[in-house]
Amino acid sequence: MNEELTEEEKEALKHIALKLETFEKHRGNLIPILQMVQNNLAYLPSEALKIVAQHLGIIESEVYGVATFYNQFRFHPPGKYPVKVCLGTACHVKAGDIILENFERKLEISDGETTPDREFSIERVACVGCCALAPVAIIDETVHGHMAPSKVEGLILRIKLQEEIEEREKKKNEPGQS
Amino acid sequence: MMLKLRVDNQEIEAREGKTLLQACLDNQIYVPNLCYLEDMESPSASCRMCFVEIEGTPQPVPSCTVQVKNDMVVKTDTPAVRQLQRTALRLLLSVHDVDCKNCHANKKCELQNIAKFLKVGLKPKRLERYLKETLIDETHPFLIHYPNRCVLCGKCVHICRGKHGESVLTFARRGFDTIISTYSATDESSLTCGDCDTCVKACPVGALAVKESS
Amino acid sequence: MSPDNRKNIDIKFNAIRKEAEKHRNEFRDAPVPKIHIGMATCGIASGALETQKAFKEALVENDIEARIHTVGCFGHCYAEPVVIIDHPDSGFPPIFYHEVTPGKAKMLVKLFLGGGDPRFEHVYGATEENDMIPSVTDFSRFNQEKRIVMEKCGRIDPEDIYDYIAADGYSTLVKALKLDPEEVIKEVTHSGLRGRGGAGFPTGRKWNLAKSVTDQEKIVICNADEGDPGAYMDRTILESNPHQVLEGIAICAYAVGAHKAMVYVRSEYPLAVKLVTDAIQQAEKLGLLGKGILDSTFDLKIDVFQGSGAFVCGEETALIRSIEGYRGMPQHRPPYPVQKGLWNKPTVINNVKTLASVPPILDHGATWYRSIGTQNSPGTAIFSIVGNVVHAGLVEIPMGVSLRTLIFDICGGIQNNKKFKAVQIGGPSGGCLNEDFLDTPIDFDSLTEAGAMMGSGGMVVMDEDTCMVEVARYFLDFTQKESCGKCTFCRIGTYHLLKILERLTKGEGLEGDLELLETLSQDIKAGSLCGLGKTAPNPVLTSLKYFRDEYEAHIKEKRCPALMCRPLTAFYFDLELCARGCDACATCCPVDAVFTTSNRKKGVDQELCVKCGECLVACPPEYDAVRKVSPPDLVPYIEKPPEKEKKDVK
Repeated sequence: MNEELTEEEKEALKHIALKLETFEKHRGNLIPILQMVQNNLAYLPSEALKIVAQHLGIIESEVYGVATFYNQFRFHPPGKYPVKVCLGTACHVKAGDIILENFERKLEISDGETTPDREFSIERVACVGCCALAPVAIIDETVHGHMAPSKVEGLILRIKLQEEIEEREKKKNEPGQS
Repeated sequence: MMLKLRVDNQEIEAREGKTLLQACLDNQIYVPNLCYLEDMESPSASCRMCFVEIEGTPQPVPSCTVQVKNDMVVKTDTPAVRQLQRTALRLLLSVHDVDCKNCHANKKCELQNIAKFLKVGLKPKRLERYLKETLIDETHPFLIHYPNRCVLCGKCVHICRGKHGESVLTFARRGFDTIISTYSATDESSLTCGDCDTCVKACPVGALAVKESS
Repeated sequence: MSPDNRKNIDIKFNAIRKEAEKHRNEFRDAPVPKIHIGMATCGIASGALETQKAFKEALVENDIEARIHTVGCFGHCYAEPVVIIDHPDSGFPPIFYHEVTPGKAKMLVKLFLGGGDPRFEHVYGATEENDMIPSVTDFSRFNQEKRIVMEKCGRIDPEDIYDYIAADGYSTLVKALKLDPEEVIKEVTHSGLRGRGGAGFPTGRKWNLAKSVTDQEKIVICNADEGDPGAYMDRTILESNPHQVLEGIAICAYAVGAHKAMVYVRSEYPLAVKLVTDAIQQAEKLGLLGKGILDSTFDLKIDVFQGSGAFVCGEETALIRSIEGYRGMPQHRPPYPVQKGLWNKPTVINNVKTLASVPPILDHGATWYRSIGTQNSPGTAIFSIVGNVVHAGLVEIPMGVSLRTLIFDICGGIQNNKKFKAVQIGGPSGGCLNEDFLDTPIDFDSLTEAGAMMGSGGMVVMDEDTCMVEVARYFLDFTQKESCGKCTFCRIGTYHLLKILERLTKGEGLEGDLELLETLSQDIKAGSLCGLGKTAPNPVLTSLKYFRDEYEAHIKEKRCPALMCRPLTAFYFDLELCARGCDACATCCPVDAVFTTSNRKKGVDQELCVKCGECLVACPPEYDAVRKVSPPDLVPYIEKPPEKEKKDVK
């Protein structure tokens, strides 16, 4: 929870402070507010918990206590491409854990972590409700059904290649470059 | 109004509105308990120690959750009650750093008392021991917290809130990972502690201590 | 309501209904084909958005005019994306197509809409009886269902309130508003409706309790915090027909005297959140919700609250704590929420399916509802059936149907001709039943008696390759992670259960572990504070009871009879069958554990192997050389040539 905020995040935090004013100072708004903050920042840095506590006039530790109770809230920034592996019952019966393991091995991070370059993060999720497609993994927002261990590497490679292509396109379009 | 009830074949009186647990304790009938505080609006009922059997109720119930009634017939020492109490105690001990010699609560520790009362050894044989990685949390300017001694009864949180309006001590995380946290309480000037040590005194097991320096 | 008031309600509603019918007729009577696409989360996950795009493009390319109608979920998840094409000019009845990929969509536009050829090889069935194509009602997946709650799911556009109204929606609210609240409660009580959240508490009685608290503000909460892994009925209903749920809420609020209601939906269900929020706005706009509903004196404000991902918040006291902005920890009951609930006000909390059952009950009457299902569990049950079953998806059946009928007739039996082993009912709080229970009727009491429970309606079918110890471990892993941590038994007890089960699945089980599991489970059941803890040991207890020999094999022989627990299994290649020079297994192995033997066959480096089973899938069927065994020491020794030698060959 001690990562430095990026410039972008500092900007977002200012925006959040403004948005906070639209919420009544009512304890019942704590969870909706935390959801709003996470929607804007993708996680809850300690700086954000502080301004939420100030807004609602409650002690910071109380906000922390509530936020850490719920699965939804993250305290570390997720990767640019969050990988969510479904471990709902149907996916489990069809060996979803092996899929999770393969992502962990290929990305060299564990469930709940983000790669050092902040590109990928892995999260295990309870049922995403596509049980008929089990086992399922979600990368970014795209659902990949009927996963197999051997598909994992390909999916990651495809994203990396896509990035490289975009990078090259970007360079090409930059003025002054041939 | 005073009500009459029978506990372990002994007639006792208790004021209407009192919990059964309190009535027992007031009459020198000991029922093991860890999380109970008389002034709580609704009982926390989380330690699951104060089970008793009430005639007419099929299963043991925590006596802190029951209000006394006239002619209630209660037993505090039945096999079913003891079974639950012993298991609850063994579970608590299985995540407790049993190192009494080096603990400031030695000999006044509620876990020791209950273990003696229930005749349960402090080192449970069948359950494996699982301790938390953090042995000592010293982030709070005045307090030391020992997570592996804590039984999560919540007395410290409740008492601090009662006294100061809000509590810097709070439950954090969830499930097996639940801890008492002093999150954000690193800045002395923002703390209302003063020379208050009620939380330390309230702790039944010595999970909190005042730092020597303060 | 006074007679005048009642008359006003009718006048106001008739005007709305007329408008709705106009919309419907305009769509229905348009002289062009209609394409209905199922677009709930499961459909979208299977590619319904791409399919829709393909339809649109193909219509433009082929210069064909047709209407695309996005609907909710039909419940046939195994067949997604699902499309119904209604092309009256072709002479065919509306046709149900399954697994409609973008390619198929383009082809259907060109050949069916353009050329009148319905492409029989892709037809699943006609939606109505006819002489030309077999109709879907010939399949038991269709004709053995009894749709009450889901009747309109997949038929109407969830984003269009008029679609619902034209299909008789909100007419029951009108009926209710013209009755006294007591009469509404009486009808619900007579119907025998029991709460569909799992416990089966009589709904009428709950409403009556709330009603009897006078002169206090009351609140109605619709519980859609569906957290059971593998269950998604509530989401589907909210995504396919949110208005029926809102109508149920409104009737409930009117009956108990509440003017505030909430829909508590998991934030993991973004589409449901959006559709319900939009539906509330639409209903408010038409005066079907909000202040002075249909010009009557009844006000109702409905808000949406997004649950933040804690399974325990499905428990009503924990749910209330979370809305109040606290850690979602269950409180001791009594007081029950109907006495003292959200913000200390009397609160009625009902499940989505319960509330969605209310409009049909009031519409057709309590006697009609009682005629469906069984004596003590009237009505229908909705299950999401997943796992190793052919036709996975949502099924609504009358209570009392046997598990056998449901699994083997309606859902087509076990995939890949495997043998049925067990069915887990009621999610992590439920139990695993073996084949001896297949003739158990599905109702609240019979399932509880069998040691499982109705729960919220998740049902996982497992075949012979599923290890029951591993399944118990999985469910304990879930409940242990979702325990709120408040009470000793659930917090520490479930952790010990999990650790023991983990030990078993690794082959590190000890003598006495089963007895320990049993006594600990019993104590957790008896000692825990809330329903989560009280039911958490159920998967362990039932699987121990019905599959004890499997547990024993794990401890005594370090063997997993179902070959599922990875530390207890191993792969090798039968060198008699392995084809010289074939590389199918080696190329698919994600960890390079496959090596080539000195005579160019394959071996498995057991140190590297992660036992994912990819090689088993990849090995060409004509060789079928991969063997999976348990315990792992059954693997014959196959020599791995030294690395250096390999280089020499090159």
